[in-house]
Amino acid sequence: MIVKDVVCPFCGCLCDDIEVDVAENRVVAVTNACELGTKKLMGEKRMKNPILRDGDTWKDITYDEAIRYTVDMLTHAERPLLYGWSGTHGEAQCVGVHMAELVRGVIDNTSSVCHGPSILAIQEVGHPGCTLGVVKNRADLVIYWGANPIDAHPRHLSRYTRYADGFFLENAFRDRKVIVMDVRKTETANIADEFVQIKPGGDYAVLSALRAIVRGKEDIVPRTVAGVTREQLIRVVDLCKAAKFGAVYFGLGLTMTRGKYKNVRNAIELVSELNRHTKFTISAMRGHYNVYGSNEVNTWMTGYPFGIDFSRGIAFYNPGETTAVDILARKECDAALIVGSDPAAHFPRSCLKHLADIPVVQLDPYPNATTAFCNVQIPVAVTGIDAEGTAYRMDGVPIRTRKVLSTSYPSDEEVLSRIYREMQEAQAV
Amino acid sequence: MTFLMITGRTVNQGATVENKTSAGYAEETSTCFMHEFDMLELGLADQDAVRVAGPCGEVVMRAVASDEVEMGTVFVPYGPYANHIIAADTHSTGMPDFKSHEVEIEPTDEEPKTVHELMEELGGLAYDR
Repeated sequence: MIVKDVVCPFCGCLCDDIEVDVAENRVVAVTNACELGTKKLMGEKRMKNPILRDGDTWKDITYDEAIRYTVDMLTHAERPLLYGWSGTHGEAQCVGVHMAELVRGVIDNTSSVCHGPSILAIQEVGHPGCTLGVVKNRADLVIYWGANPIDAHPRHLSRYTRYADGFFLENAFRDRKVIVMDVRKTETANIADEFVQIKPGGDYAVLSALRAIVRGKEDIVPRTVAGVTREQLIRVVDLCKAAKFGAVYFGLGLTMTRGKYKNVRNAIELVSELNRHTKFTISAMRGHYNVYGSNEVNTWMTGYPFGIDFSRGIAFYNPGETTAVDILARKECDAALIVGSDPAAHFPRSCLKHLADIPVVQLDPYPNATTAFCNVQIPVAVTGIDAEGTAYRMDGVPIRTRKVLSTSYPSDEEVLSRIYREMQEAQAV
Repeated sequence: MTFLMITGRTVNQGATVENKTSAGYAEETSTCFMHEFDMLELGLADQDAVRVAGPCGEVVMRAVASDEVEMGTVFVPYGPYANHIIAADTHSTGMPDFKSHEVEIEPTDEEPKTVHELMEELGGLAYDR
């Protein structure tokens, strides 16, 4: 059976034109998705039942036992950390916030190690963004800054930028210019009209130089800035000013390097400068398919996008203090619930040492690196494959993901709702 | 020799990220992409093992020549190997320095560890069923 218009549950593009061939309740073929999406939709090796670490061995347990363990762990913890949330649907994220509030814990999502700094910049200076459709149909200039979509968002170029036909572009491939700013000459740089190679750590200086040139102060710009010649910087500004509609997409090249959110702030301010001359927008290339959703859900429920601490009884937010990496590195939390992410693979080693010392429960369909640090892992349905739910695309558009398989796995929302209900009952006693 | 280590996404990393117990994921995330001249300087051939030492420890990876990286810079796909040596300091942002770490690289005869071995070294218990 072919299921059409499936939403890909891999990256922030949330491509919604996937065709999935299902036979005997298994995905046997995928059409239209990129390699990343195809591999996820055809994923195997799922955990069959909840497991419990018993000394140096693993024991199979029931969902009831796993849920009871999680309820006990969270209700007895002084400072629990509830981390992850980007690989699940908005409905589960809502339950997570309620749980964190009930136990006065900290809830953080994976954006603290991806575009969290971008959000800090947006909080400072705002965000002149737009939807992907607007870029596809109108943008005649696209800048990728510190982003490599060919590897990280493989269909971004064909659906929205380089190779996408647009309503207001007669010949999109010819009429749309692409500029890539990066420290590496990536595959994306190879298909750019203009590649600007920046010395590592030089993004802030290059952004400042571009802002000066847009302001007509090119005389004060040195001959080279972070390895980029003044002539090339002037050429980039000329291309930007000549565009009818420009769109900047920035990646972790700005957020993970020195300067972090200040780099993003400078990029947003460059876009503000360019808006004095023409129409320009800027957006983040979000990684997880619903990491944007975790920011949205957290913000509408608590006022803050990530790293929310309920220990005072009200929502408190201070990145660097209430964010997962810092809390683990300081050995501050005494229990961790991990949902829809794999911190053991993506956090620095000193954080993992603390995960090994505290009780950890993980909700994830697959064994991953964090499994090694779990006391209990609860396998769940994958949103977009055997569970449906709401996910936010990288431009902030909420999309209902579809269910293509029927399995007996409960969804994240079902498991979390049960844990939450039992936590309420435990607290009422 | 001192290098600047940058981490990031690759297609192979993304394609294997949901199957972290696979050999493909371990192979991709333990690859240290280097400039050919830097490899010559260190006497390395493709797939030779290198010890990469950062401020928080060291890890063994395999060197692979890449024309995407500049001399003095190495690129390692996101994963447990790079994170084994990255510091947890976030400078009050929540974000560690995933793309701006100085590391020391030298050839070694040791083999890269598996993801399971890395996790067990830190007190975890591998699950592979």
